[in-house]
Amino acid sequence: MDVRSWIAFVVASVTAFVLRVTKRAGTSLPGYLATRISPNLLFYVLAKLDRCVIVTGTNGKTTTNALLKSLVAQDEAWISNAMGANLLQGILSALLPELTWRGQLRVKRAILEVDEATLPRLTQRFQPDMIIVTNVMRDQLDRYGEVDATLGYLYESTRDETVLLVLNADDPLAASLGKGRLNTFYFGLSDWPEDDLLRQEVRDGAFCLQCGGELLYTRTVFGQMGHYHCPICLAQRPFPQFSMRVRERQEEVEIHEEIRLQSPIAYRVTSPLLGIYNAYNLLAACSAARLLGVNPARFEAGLAQFTAPIGRMQTFPGNPPRILALIKNPTGATMVLRSLEGTLNGDPLCFVINDADADGRDVSWLWDIDMESFVLRSPHVSGWYCAGTRGADMALRLKYAGINPAQIQLLENAADTLKVNAEEGGSVYILCTYTALHPLANRLEAMHT
Amino acid sequence: MRTQTIRIAHLFPELLNLYADQGNLAVLTARARARGIEVKVVPIKLREPIDYRQVDLIMLGGGSDREQRVVSEALASYAPDLRHAIEDGFPFLAVCGGYQLLGHSYELTSGELLPGLQALDLVTKAGTSRLIGNIAIELPATLKLARSTVVGFENHIGRTEHAHQALGRVLAGHGNNGVDHAEGIFLKRVIGTYIHGPLLPKNPHLADLLLSYALAYRGDERTLEPLDDTMEWLAHDQMLARLNVARKERLEEGE
Ligand SMILES: [Zn+2]
Repeated sequence: MDVRSWIAFVVASVTAFVLRVTKRAGTSLPGYLATRISPNLLFYVLAKLDRCVIVTGTNGKTTTNALLKSLVAQDEAWISNAMGANLLQGILSALLPELTWRGQLRVKRAILEVDEATLPRLTQRFQPDMIIVTNVMRDQLDRYGEVDATLGYLYESTRDETVLLVLNADDPLAASLGKGRLNTFYFGLSDWPEDDLLRQEVRDGAFCLQCGGELLYTRTVFGQMGHYHCPICLAQRPFPQFSMRVRERQEEVEIHEEIRLQSPIAYRVTSPLLGIYNAYNLLAACSAARLLGVNPARFEAGLAQFTAPIGRMQTFPGNPPRILALIKNPTGATMVLRSLEGTLNGDPLCFVINDADADGRDVSWLWDIDMESFVLRSPHVSGWYCAGTRGADMALRLKYAGINPAQIQLLENAADTLKVNAEEGGSVYILCTYTALHPLANRLEAMHT
Repeated sequence: MRTQTIRIAHLFPELLNLYADQGNLAVLTARARARGIEVKVVPIKLREPIDYRQVDLIMLGGGSDREQRVVSEALASYAPDLRHAIEDGFPFLAVCGGYQLLGHSYELTSGELLPGLQALDLVTKAGTSRLIGNIAIELPATLKLARSTVVGFENHIGRTEHAHQALGRVLAGHGNNGVDHAEGIFLKRVIGTYIHGPLLPKNPHLADLLLSYALAYRGDERTLEPLDDTMEWLAHDQMLARLNVARKERLEEGE
């Protein structure tokens, strides 16, 4: 370790210690200070790892990361940035607690969630063992420029063919990263419950990246996910070595595994999370775990240890119980709403929309949420509440989706959503953006302890 | 003649839908319906012809560089008719990339020059940094709208210059090129702008202006009855306050 890196390490360790004793949660602060002092420290630590898996993509990074950790970390410890702090400083913050004063790592395996735009800066100086790409979709536009830019970052970061690449075959954008590449594995759904209602969703990958032709889908899952092919250049969905069958209202899914020169096997897994988008996260995690050598017979025990990351529709007990969900881009928000369609029973629905850097300063994405399909299915919502720095924008979104303005209430503070009450036996649903998530979760924890 | 239906042609929605143009369409549709006028949105895919007798308003949104290149290659066939239509007072809303495509050319960050529709005397060059953020502009007084400000969000690397009237003077933000304090273009019944967010929800006066343009083009000169826009103006004013722009009102003459 060079002198600057050592100073950076000392400063970060002291900061982390102070934060711990003062019980302040500053997930990225030690790493932030350390990276400011020495950009080399992170790469010094990464080089000490025996095994490193990176999870990236637009949606599902944090959940996939947590699921994979539960599968692989049954006998041995793995480091992970489980809080979703996925920029360089967050990654360093997660690794530093395991670094000894002699510059050795106590735990030498890591699963790291990495932001798509940050990934090239990491892979410039460090090659992990495996990179998992969950999907490539429209995120907050002002952060990434465009979907094409994101795809560019990922392409650049995955050119080293010694790195195992695990891609979503059902997403034409993510799958394109593996074209002609060695050491590339795919996962995808083989069968899932059909949804016949016409959805007005944004399909980011609706065009063939090889020839520009419009992709044809024989079946769609959500967003641009599905079974597709290009009628012009005949490009098609790659064959997934890991394919999953999901059945209507069943927690048990079936994974079929077919790797070249190996005999096919199949196994069943009980999904700890509902929603078709979580089926992809589970499949990504299981595929990666298999490639890391985990026996599927041990999946069940691992998943039993799984706790969902914050903001994935946890219920905070109380009267009424409150359910907290993170929304940060149109597809993710549409998926959350879709999973609520059958659940709401006269419950109030709250939105907390902020526009800090971490949320995305451009709130155009609110208009790409398929709110109309949700309203069309007339979920039984007793009241619509909006808060946050862009609460007024959300209120307008609801109004133009057809909600009676008299039923929409604008709240002054995000915390006011915790005062919203439900009818007897009902629950309050709170959908919020990133910077509102942790403050709300902390208050909810405090309310019940 | 009173019009029963406004027909909006949404150009190339399969390619140009980057900044939530659905929002603009939803606002136009809802505000027309509130006045008893139906709205029919006609999606026009790339290379499909536009029948100007069958539509009353055209909407053109923005896309990524890749998508704009695909569109640009097919624009030549649309150009002559479109130029005539604009000359003839055909109402047109062009946002972001769509605004750039109305001009002579549009330069990609790679330096590649894409030909535009050549409909307006307007040129867009690539800058070195993106102009991103919330924006507020002041509309020309000649428009005589109840409110003179427009708010929204801009995100563009292109620097646009033209000799026509601007849609507004920049009160906060960057505008066409970050230099001359002008934003957008306003010519005949054409509104071109970098402002999305999307544009119309927080700017109901602009939405109504477009609707009345669509009606006027068909010879229906009626005044649209006012709607309850409390929620819209609240969102509008919150953004003005954040940008430290004083709220401006201009009452129509004679009222
Ligand atoms: Zn093709």
